[in-house]
Amino acid sequence: MGRVVQSLAIVAPCVVLTALSAWWTVSLALGGGLWPPDQVTLSEAVATRNNAEALRLIQQGADPNRPGFVRDGLLTNGYDVTVRPVEAAVAAQRADSLRMLLANGASVDDEELRVLSCIEEQRHDSGVREILEAHGAAHIACDGVRLPTDRTR
Amino acid sequence: MSVPAFENGMLCLPRMLEDPRRSRAMLLSLVVATLITIPLADSLYRIPIQVSDSLEPMVVARKADSTISLLENSATFSPTTFRPARYLQARWLLQLADRASLSYNTVFRGVHVALLVLLIALFVAAVRPREWTDVVAFGVAFPVLIGMHTFLAMLLEAFPVNHYAEVSVCALAVFVLAQHQPKWYVPIVASLLLIGALSVIESGVMVWVTVLCCAAAGMPGIRRSTVIATTVLFLGYLVLRHQLGIVTPGVGGHGSGFGATFYSADEVAQRFGAHPAGFMIYNVIGGLASLLLAEPRNGVYSLLAAWRAGEIHPVVTINILSSLASTLLLIWYAVMHVRTKRADWPDATRAFAAAAVIMLVNAALTAAYIKDEIISVGGVFYAVCTFIAVRALIVTLPRRTTAAAFAITLLLATNAALWTFRASGVHYQLRYDAFKTRNDWVEVLRENERSEWPNDSRELQLTRRLRAEALERHTASPSFMPRWGDRYWVE
Repeated sequence: MGRVVQSLAIVAPCVVLTALSAWWTVSLALGGGLWPPDQVTLSEAVATRNNAEALRLIQQGADPNRPGFVRDGLLTNGYDVTVRPVEAAVAAQRADSLRMLLANGASVDDEELRVLSCIEEQRHDSGVREILEAHGAAHIACDGVRLPTDRTR
Repeated sequence: MSVPAFENGMLCLPRMLEDPRRSRAMLLSLVVATLITIPLADSLYRIPIQVSDSLEPMVVARKADSTISLLENSATFSPTTFRPARYLQARWLLQLADRASLSYNTVFRGVHVALLVLLIALFVAAVRPREWTDVVAFGVAFPVLIGMHTFLAMLLEAFPVNHYAEVSVCALAVFVLAQHQPKWYVPIVASLLLIGALSVIESGVMVWVTVLCCAAAGMPGIRRSTVIATTVLFLGYLVLRHQLGIVTPGVGGHGSGFGATFYSADEVAQRFGAHPAGFMIYNVIGGLASLLLAEPRNGVYSLLAAWRAGEIHPVVTINILSSLASTLLLIWYAVMHVRTKRADWPDATRAFAAAAVIMLVNAALTAAYIKDEIISVGGVFYAVCTFIAVRALIVTLPRRTTAAAFAITLLLATNAALWTFRASGVHYQLRYDAFKTRNDWVEVLRENERSEWPNDSRELQLTRRLRAEALERHTASPSFMPRWGDRYWVE
């Protein structure tokens, strides 16, 4: 086996990493790069546990009560949904996100509390349950209740 | 003065005869290092300033009335640590940001990136690729440097500047100086590096250790004057600590792992405080094993935990196999080269011996508790040793049978692939850390807990600004990164 072939075989992984790094650098200069920051709706930020991004969007004027698009794979499998940020927080089982939303302008009326309780019935989380109970939620029958996270078509 | 080249009838100095391919080899290595480092620097720069470990010293530095008072008070901050430069750095960088109208993130993360670049530049200088064989060895050793878990520890943490990265830069700078012919300024530079390193963290002692190891290995740049100067300084440092009433942290001062479990500081004190010797021996062995075999991490053996859980993640297998293969290579080199008389050692063997002993001593610093950061200097020198050993093995290939050469090439290529995979995972872990660090700021200055906000206006103003800067720093969410990354890169 020639020395050149041996050398190339040994350095090949590093050459691949170098080439990938060069590509990431070029795409970074063009505004992309490796795993660039996501462009998300408020509901998607909450669904992806990105509380900081959610808070930033609220501070920039996003309405914490307005339903937002959440792409397939984040809260659901096989279909997109449009849900309110608090619903995304409960569906993602994120008590910290729910707490943050409630502290920053999100409101929950009786009807919404019922929806949230039913989502929590499906996706149990003790932290979320505690917050909902503090807002007056009680165990209710969820049969027949259509949830925003359900498939609609 | 004798000039060997002239004595041999040559009318030029050896440097003038240098093969032009040598400079090409160095240039190519620098290009590789630069291309790999740029996106790494970007990944590092994206991490916001941390809440834990960073906010508190920054607040202390901001609230101090003057630099002198901060320096005086820094001796009283902890009964077991003496890190005056930690707070001074924070104060100076805050002032720099204010005067230059830069964001705090820009300045503090910029310093971290500068440390990364400096560390990599020094690594290239330390291994000095001069021939094509060196470039091949560099292609294996450089991913080892970056892929080593202790390297990541120098990127993830900040206090608010990563002191372990600073210490590694200082130690590597001494090592580079030791490789060259002695100069009058070496004792001064080595002393300044030691002072700088010791003033930020106790692990700065590794700079002194590096001086001693280089001298003991007979590296040309370190003369007796450097050893004496740095030893006197280190003794002075110990006396100063004693005068200030600062004691060495014992077992139970920090949380640490044992077996498959990580114990809090209180739990460590409860379990091992009465008879700490066994625990300390366990830690030192663990620190060395972590460097050589990638296990344990922070004292916890993931392999043991995986065995108990009945499932082993690929990351554990990849890390152990790659480290094991590299360590066997180092053992091969040591057996083949270090056993000869020290006086007969070529430069590479002297460098290897010094770097290997630095690793061993670094492991001893984990006696009280194990953290990846503590052995980060050892990790850097592990990569230096890997370069020397890989190079030596490649040089032997033409003398071997075809089958043996094929087997060695396959082994080196496979190991290089594993280390490169580990190195590429650093981006994933830095993104993850940026996401987590940014989210940590949401819990600071919460709107519904205004009663817990700081009363001091300077503290409140600083915290508000840091929080606002962190929130403005867009990061990638792990939800949009490959899900398999957790199993293959995160231990």
